This record gives sequence, structure tokens and C-alpha cells, in this order.
Amino acid sequence: MTKTIVVTSGKGGVGKTTTSASIATGLASRGFKTVVIDFDVGLRNLDLIMGCERRVVYDLVNLVNQEASLHQTLIKDKRVENLYILPASQTRDKDALTIEGIARVMHKLKKSEFDYIICDSPAGIEKGAKMALYFADEAIITTNPEVSSVRDSDRILGILQSESRRAKMNDDPVKEHLLITRYNPGRVQEGQMLSVDDIVELLAIPLLGIIPESPTVLDSSNAGKPVILDQTSLAGQAYSDAIDRLLGESKPHRFMEIEKKGFLKRLFG
Amino acid sequence: MSSNSVVELKGSMYTFLSLKLHSGDLSAVNEALAEKVQQAPGFFSNTPIVVDLTAIEDKPDVDAKGLLAAIRDHKLVPIVASVHNRDGDLARDIDLPLVEARDRNTGNDTKPAAQASKKTSTESAESASDPVFDDDVASGDQTQNTGASVDSSKESAETGDGAADNNAGSDADREQSATGSHSMDPIDLAMSGAEVEYVVKRPKLVTRPVRSGQQVYARDTDLVVLGQIGAGAEIIADNNIHVYGPLRGRALCGVTGNSEARIFCQSLEAELVSVAGNFKVLEEIPEHLHGKPAQIWFSDDKLHIEPL
Ligand SMILES: Nc1ncnc2c1ncn2[C@@H]1O[C@H](COP(=O)(O)OP(=O)(O)OP(=O)(O)O)[C@@H](O)[C@H]1O
Ligand SMILES: [Mg+2]
Repeated sequence: MTKTIVVTSGKGGVGKTTTSASIATGLASRGFKTVVIDFDVGLRNLDLIMGCERRVVYDLVNLVNQEASLHQTLIKDKRVENLYILPASQTRDKDALTIEGIARVMHKLKKSEFDYIICDSPAGIEKGAKMALYFADEAIITTNPEVSSVRDSDRILGILQSESRRAKMNDDPVKEHLLITRYNPGRVQEGQMLSVDDIVELLAIPLLGIIPESPTVLDSSNAGKPVILDQTSLAGQAYSDAIDRLLGESKPHRFMEIEKKGFLKRLFG
Repeated sequence: MSSNSVVELKGSMYTFLSLKLHSGDLSAVNEALAEKVQQAPGFFSNTPIVVDLTAIEDKPDVDAKGLLAAIRDHKLVPIVASVHNRDGDLARDIDLPLVEARDRNTGNDTKPAAQASKKTSTESAESASDPVFDDDVASGDQTQNTGASVDSSKESAETGDGAADNNAGSDADREQSATGSHSMDPIDLAMSGAEVEYVVKRPKLVTRPVRSGQQVYARDTDLVVLGQIGAGAEIIADNNIHVYGPLRGRALCGVTGNSEARIFCQSLEAELVSVAGNFKVLEEIPEHLHGKPAQIWFSDDKLHIEPL
């Protein structure tokens, strides 16, 4: 059974693409045949973070318009077995997508026996975001510890439960996961950011994980390597924990406290 | 084209105002109608009604055509007459389609039954010069009335109080009305559905959270929300609002003018609360009530917010 998971947030720049890349890579590393789709048509990004930008020939819009086959469009990851990337078009806009067209693509992916389809949503609550969440079975709500981000997550949760295919067909509701990203316990303690408890209380959905704010994320993006592949990075470890929980394991949450700096770290910042 | 796509014949239920005649006396009915209609002329103008003849259909010498004309004179539009016996004199005289009144002892039917058994008191009361109305439809508040019809004995108890406002009726009158054992009125105007279930308007129940940007409206009834109301979400009801999760968005009750509607919540963190258009924003809600169980209602021209 193929599971479709949308990574969404409402607000821009909170870490959706970073999360999509790491979640897809993590699932594939565990042996699941996984594809990650960039729905951010016009602002193609995922291919950079996945490090496959030089191998893009066809894209999602070509596939939707039946100008290319699935086989021609999917990019196979070079590092991780079972992992495929479906890039967005940089030259078109979101109007190029239709529900019927995407339904065809989803159907083809299911026939190709993918275990997971990860949909990287564009920011906002407009057509692009609605297309990305329409076929979702589960949703990873990516939220930064700020009031505005939490508000937008609440908004996207409402859209998810009223405008997704599951909502429209009266199926079981889309399963919701909260992923708090760019968490900085120091700033939480200083009262500049919302705490994990605040966010969970405000959104009232199960917590999948807490990804700490970490400079390794940017380094990884620049290197075109999802941060989950760097297990020396706290963010990478946090994404691994999230994969475990997504697969049903219960693990205590980490990275909520201020990291006690060792002697060397204190010396060198 | 199939005939079904042009016209469609199907059974459906509607709620109509029913006018029950307790007296066949033309002038008494006329006078009572005038008073009733004058309380809310806009509400009654061109309103379709069911004429309930069950209380007078066995009386001799009732002028059916005259009664019907009197009703029409007051801008009411009789559409059907309700009788027990379709073959009675009155039923044959009246120029309206007939429906048979049901004798089940539920909802609206309880009342006619009770009144039928008090026939003698009805007749002796007919000459009363100052009719008492035992309903509150005249306030124009349909919502409330449909609510009150759930239990007809309760309805007459409540409406007995209401009558005191319209009319400085004696305590004895009210007493009688409260026990449901009288009918002084030549007429009785009340909402009645073809079916009892239709009269009982169920509250709108929402079990999931209401998220930012979503709007939920309970038309003509109460709204009950089990989940939270997110900031930027809006819940609206024509009647009361009950929220069991945190209320962080906007809550507006009595939006069609029912100023007796109230908001009840477990944790008051609302951006705005409003009763029949009278609102307060979070800034005006006393600090010590934030996050507390509270109720909000309107009286004496003021919005009250108090702990529960
Ligand atoms: N845990 C983290 N620690 C530090 N920086 C992060 C973290 N997660 C994401 N970032 C940075 O935040 C920026 C936005 O990330 P990303 O592109 O994944 O967000 P997005 O939600 O996909 O944005 P958009 O809405 O534009 O699609 C990037 O510069 C990324 O490196
Ligand atoms: Mg992105």
C-alpha cells in the first residue's frame, strides 16, 4: 500500500523542503521505495537540496501534461537505493497543475509500487499548496516556534481537513503530525520563542519531532546532501528520530533543552 | 429529457405556523387576530399558515367561510386546514385542502388532546373579553419558539409567564395556563411541523477543532464544539454557543437578533465575543478571566462576562 505524505506549513521558509528531503531519504534508507515530489512549481528547490539539479530533464509539469513518461521524469538518487526525485518545473507556474493530471501521476506511482510518496508543498494556502495536500494520507505540519508560523499551521490544518481528497470523499481524516523545526531552546528560555508545550497546546496534534536550529542544515543544503545523512549533526539525528516515530516506534523527544557546551566548544564558540 | 429533470415529485417536510381556533365566534377571533398580528406585523404578513380546526370542528353553526376571510383579512395565508374528521360539517364548508390531525400523544399533539378534554372550560371561557395568548411567536423569534415546542407542557408553562407581559392578566389566569388546563384564547398561534422531529431543531455538533480561517455557522440552533477554536477561526450561531476546547478565535451568538443567546466556554481566550451584535474584543475581556471557564450573555444593554 502506497502512503502519500504531504510536508506543509502555510508559512514560507520554515523548513518544508529541508524536511521533505530528509524524510524521503530516511524512509528510503530503511528500505522503503520512496519518491519525493517538488510541488513548488516556479520555485524549484528540492533538486538543489537533493543534489540532483544537474540531472533534471523533464519535470512534474511535463508528466502532468503527458509530455514525458514516469520513467523519463523520475531521477534516481545516487547515494540511497530506493530513492527517487520528481522535480518541479522552474519555467512554469502553479496553474500548469490540475487535480486530474496529478491524479494520473499518483496512480502511476502507485502502480510502480512505491511505498511512500512525499509531497513538498509550496508556501501559502493557494492552489499550489492545495494541489500538494489533495492526495495526502498523512501530513507533516512543519512549524517554527513563532506565533505567526503556528497560526499558519492551524490554517493549513483546517484546509487539510476540509479540502483534501479524504475530506471530500468522507474517508478517514488525513493523519496529522507536528514537526517543530528550527527549534532554539536558548531563545525559548529567553521568552523570544514559543516552547514545544505552547505549540503542542495551540495546535493540539501529535508531535512527530523537534528539529533543532543547526548550522549543519545550511551546510548540507549547500552540499546538496540531505541533513539526515549527516548523523554527527543534531538536526540529522532529530530527523532520524522522526522517521522512527513515523514508522510507529515511540521514542522520547530530544533537543528540547539547551545543549551543555563542552569545554572545547566553550573555548571555540 | 426525462420528466424527472423538469419536475420532481417527492415527499418533504416543512415547518409552518399553525393557527388553532379555540372559538368559532367570528368577532372574538377577529379581535384576537388583530392584536396578535399587530405585535409583529412584518412577521405575519403573507405568512402561510395551517388552520387547526380540531377544537371547533364539532361545534354547531360555525361560519367557516367567515373565519377564513377574517384570517385572510389579517394578511395571513391559509394553505391547509387540519381536522380530526374530514367528513364533518366544518370540514366540508371550508374552502381549503384538508389534513387529518394525528392523535399521537407526542409533541404538538399533546396539546389538542389536553384541550379537547377540557372542552367545557373552553366553551365557558369563550366569552372572555380579554384574550390571553399563550405563545411567544409574536416576538418574531422563531428559533426560541421551535425550541420551546420540544415539550408542550413546558411550553405552556413558559408561555404563561410570557402572557403576563402582553397583558396584565390575573395570577389565576397564569396559574391555569401553567398547568395547561385552560384555554381562554379564541386562537392559538404556534410553530408546528408536519412531524415532531422537525420542530425539534438539533444543535449543530462539531467534534473536530475549528482551525484558523474556518467558519462554522449553526443556523436557527445551538452550536456545540468539542475541539478548540483556533485564533482566526469564527464560530457563529443563531442561538447559544458551547465550546469545550479552548476558545481562541471569534464566537458570535444570536446573530439573527436573539439577544438571549449565550456563549459558554471552558477556556476563554477569544479574540472577540458577541451576543446579538454586541461585542467585546480580547483587550476588553477582564484579565482574570483569560483561560477560565466563562459565560457571556447580554442584558440591561450590556455584555456580561462572568466565570462559570
Ligand atoms: N533546522 C534548521 N536549522 C537551521 N536552518 C534551517 C533549519 N531548517 C531549515 N533551515 C533553513 O531555513 C531556510 C528555509 O528552509 P526550506 O527551504 O527547507 O524551507 P521551506 O519551508 O521549504 O521554504 P519555502 O516556503 O520557500 O518553500 C533554508 O535556508 C534552510 O537552510
Ligand atoms: Mg520549499
